[in-house]
Amino acid sequence: MIGRLIRGVPGRAAALGVALVVAALASLAPASPLAQSCAAAGSNRAALVVEHGDGSTVTRCVSFDAGTVTGEWLLDSSGVAWSGQSYGGFGQAVCAVDAEPAHFSTCPGKDSYWAAFVSRGGGAWQFASVGISSLTLADGDALGFRYVPTVGSPAPPPPAAGVCAVAATAAPAPATVGGAGATPPAQATPPATVGASPATTDAVADAAASAGVAVAATAGVAVAAATAGAPSSAASPPPGARGPSPTGGIDQGLLLAAVAGGGLAGLALLRVVAARRRRA
Amino acid sequence: MNLVPRAPIAPRAWLVWSLAAVTVGLSTDNPVYRGLVALVALNVLLTWLRPGRRLRPLALMLLVAAGTAALVNVFASHTGADLLARLPGDWPLVGGPLTLESVAFGGTVGLGLVAALLAVAPLSLVLEPYDVVDAMPRPLERTGIAVATSLNLVSGFGRTFTAVRDAQRMRGWRPRGLRSWNEVLVPVLLTAIEDSVVLAEAMEARGFGAGRRTSYASRRWSRWDLVVVASAVTAAASFIALRLAGVPVDWYPYPTLFLPPINPVLVLACLALSLPGLARPARGG
Repeated sequence: MIGRLIRGVPGRAAALGVALVVAALASLAPASPLAQSCAAAGSNRAALVVEHGDGSTVTRCVSFDAGTVTGEWLLDSSGVAWSGQSYGGFGQAVCAVDAEPAHFSTCPGKDSYWAAFVSRGGGAWQFASVGISSLTLADGDALGFRYVPTVGSPAPPPPAAGVCAVAATAAPAPATVGGAGATPPAQATPPATVGASPATTDAVADAAASAGVAVAATAGVAVAAATAGAPSSAASPPPGARGPSPTGGIDQGLLLAAVAGGGLAGLALLRVVAARRRRA
Repeated sequence: MNLVPRAPIAPRAWLVWSLAAVTVGLSTDNPVYRGLVALVALNVLLTWLRPGRRLRPLALMLLVAAGTAALVNVFASHTGADLLARLPGDWPLVGGPLTLESVAFGGTVGLGLVAALLAVAPLSLVLEPYDVVDAMPRPLERTGIAVATSLNLVSGFGRTFTAVRDAQRMRGWRPRGLRSWNEVLVPVLLTAIEDSVVLAEAMEARGFGAGRRTSYASRRWSRWDLVVVASAVTAAASFIALRLAGVPVDWYPYPTLFLPPINPVLVLACLALSLPGLARPARGG
């Protein structure tokens, strides 16, 4: 009776409101990367390779004590100026690196963007399927960026092999790594105002622009090489860019999801057919 | 434990299940998880659909909502590596490249809507409206009535539309252009207004707002109800906990398309929601 009586009252907004509030509360959970402690001097090392649109490259070797660090932490600690934009659970997307582009209004850019890659244990570059704040890097890993056109498969930057080896030779005592506890820069030109976490994209983009190409090399960040005009030596599409798993091989999650999805779809189909037969 | 429940699931357990499923479906951008939630909710609906209720109006609504959301994204977002077509740049808003990535993300947005609507559909298609009212905690009793009313409005509107359209056809009406639909939509609108007035009078006559509605007996929860609630809460909590732990649960196809990252634990969490869809009692419910 009540069901019949209350039919027709315009209250759809209330129902939608309850559902949306619950969903909003659930999605408010921040996409927090793994907490990283700032190591004073690290026994682990990870490389950073940045290739600009004109082919010039910037490389860094960052040492750390923690077992793993996030890509965002590595980029912050490298002293290379960058700015990003958060995309919820995806994490931080990189919008500008090393003053390229000097200014941006959309991220990723309409014509070009910074494609992120990760190399595990000296392996080939794999296209990063998550934001750099969600990427974890361990000893021997490398983080790569290349400024690529939006149309077409993004080519990876030059290999990271030798970046940390050269760094060890060039700077035998890599001291503290950047971040909150970094010691004053030994050869910082200009001072390390660009390596900090960006507060706003525009502000940091401006900072990156003012810093120019010569980014701050904070103490503890071993500058391996910064060769201008070096062309990319690896122009093939990233092997894992469209693969099932960033690490290659059969993705167990994908397999499980395919089986579960197929089973549920089949079950639903059987139930629909059975219901129709009952009605007939 | 016997997998076949002996009694219908308690209304409050349904409410918890729906909230958990909506939480899972909307707390991630990953189309795989959203698709699984949608399929799970569809199976649950097909298992528990009340006699006399039809899924076709809901399916039509889902199609329109998801299609609109997907199309808006395709034509408004012009980012992505894989070009499908290019509209003239001087066309406002929609001008520019149309990309595979925007199609994929639009599909994900639509899938989220489908998952969320299917998750709350049992409150309308499985439960009676008074069950939804009873399912609400006491402070939310008024809200429960509003929810029940509005959920019932959708199916009631569909039934009225069908009845009026059939009646007009019997009188020789045939759809000829948009203007001819006035002959159906105006009576449907008038019926909705009339129903609203009748409802308001009936509720006032029955003392709405005078105090809590009495009931003959408060229903005890069965073990099956507890299992359903526990599995649903576990599923929602898994998504929130893993997200807080930094596990990627979202998928963002820009600037270049790639397969979504999938965590087996989260797939199992989605499947945990399917418990009410396993079976229903042979009688009742």
